[in-house]
Amino acid sequence: MRQIPHGTSLQTGEAWAIAFTYFTVAITVSLVHSTAGTPTWVIVAATLIVNSATATLAYAAVTTAGGSVAAGVASGWLTSTRFGVLAAALAPRLWPQRWKRALAAFSAFDPNIALANREEKDEDVRRVYVAMSLWLVLPWWLGASIGALIGDLVSDPKALGMDAMFPALFIAIIRPQLTTQNARLIALSGALVALGLVEILQGGLPFLVAALPALLALRNREDRNS
Amino acid sequence: MLTWGVVAVLAVGVYGQRVLGMALIEPKSIGDRSRRVLAMVPLSVLCAVTALQTFSSQNELVIDARVAGIAAAALLAWKRAPMFLVVVVAAAVTAGVRLL
Repeated sequence: MRQIPHGTSLQTGEAWAIAFTYFTVAITVSLVHSTAGTPTWVIVAATLIVNSATATLAYAAVTTAGGSVAAGVASGWLTSTRFGVLAAALAPRLWPQRWKRALAAFSAFDPNIALANREEKDEDVRRVYVAMSLWLVLPWWLGASIGALIGDLVSDPKALGMDAMFPALFIAIIRPQLTTQNARLIALSGALVALGLVEILQGGLPFLVAALPALLALRNREDRNS
Repeated sequence: MLTWGVVAVLAVGVYGQRVLGMALIEPKSIGDRSRRVLAMVPLSVLCAVTALQTFSSQNELVIDARVAGIAAAALLAWKRAPMFLVVVVAAAVTAGVRLL
C-alpha cells in the first residue's frame, strides 16, 4: 500500500475513504440546512467559515425545535468544545511557531488529529496533519456546496443510511489503535462515560468528560507496549 | 435557519476553541507525563463521539437502524477490512434495515 505523505503510516486508501465520507456527509448536512430554510450562499459560507458541521447542526436542531437564536448559538459552541480538546491533545507535537499552530487550528477535526497522532515522529505528525486536513476539508467544502445547490433533490438522506457513515469511519480509525490493554480500557471508558452522561449533560459536555479516561495512560508504565 | 450573523458568531466560537487548544498551549511547557495523557485523548474522545453517534440522537439514548449498520461496520473493521468498505457497508446496512 502506498502512503501519503511518503514514509508516514497514512495509507492512500484511508485518505480516499475519509475524503469520500466527508464529501457524502457534507451533502447531507447542507440538505438539512436547506430544509431548515437557510439560503444557499449562507450554507456555503457556513461550511467555509465555521468549518464544523457539529456546530451548525446543533444550532439547526435547537432552532428548528423552537429554541431561540441565542440558545442555538450556545448549543453550537458547546457541542464543538471537543475540537478544542482534540486540538490541545495534538498541540505538543505540532510546530513550535505559534502562528503555524493558529493556522492549523482552523481545520482541527476528528480524523486528521487521530491519524496524525499515531505517527511516531513529530515531523511526520505535522506532515500527516497537513495532508489529511486537505484530504478532509476540500471534499467537505465541495460536498457542502453541491448539497446547498441541489437543495432537496435527495429527499431523505437518512433513507440512504448516511447518518451511519461518520461513526463507521471513526471505528475504522480507532480499530488499529486498540493494540494495548490500556488503549482498549481507555476506548471503552470514553464510550461508556459519554453514553452515561448524554441524557444528563448538555450538548458537547459529555465529550469533555470523556477525555478524562486518557488519564489511564499513567497507569502501569511498563505495560504500555505489551 | 442560519443567517449571516449566526454564521459569524458560530465561526468565532468554534475557531476560538480550536485555537485556544492548539495555539495557546506552549508545546515546550508540556511535560512527559502530560504528553502521555494527551496522546490518549483523541482515542478517548473519538470513542465517545462514535458511541453517541451510534446510540443517541439529540441528547437521548436511541436504538435504531444505525446500530445495525454500525455493528456491521465494527465487524468489518475488526477483520481489518478497507476503510472504504467499512463506511459503505455501514450506510448500506442502515438503509436496508430502514427499508424493512
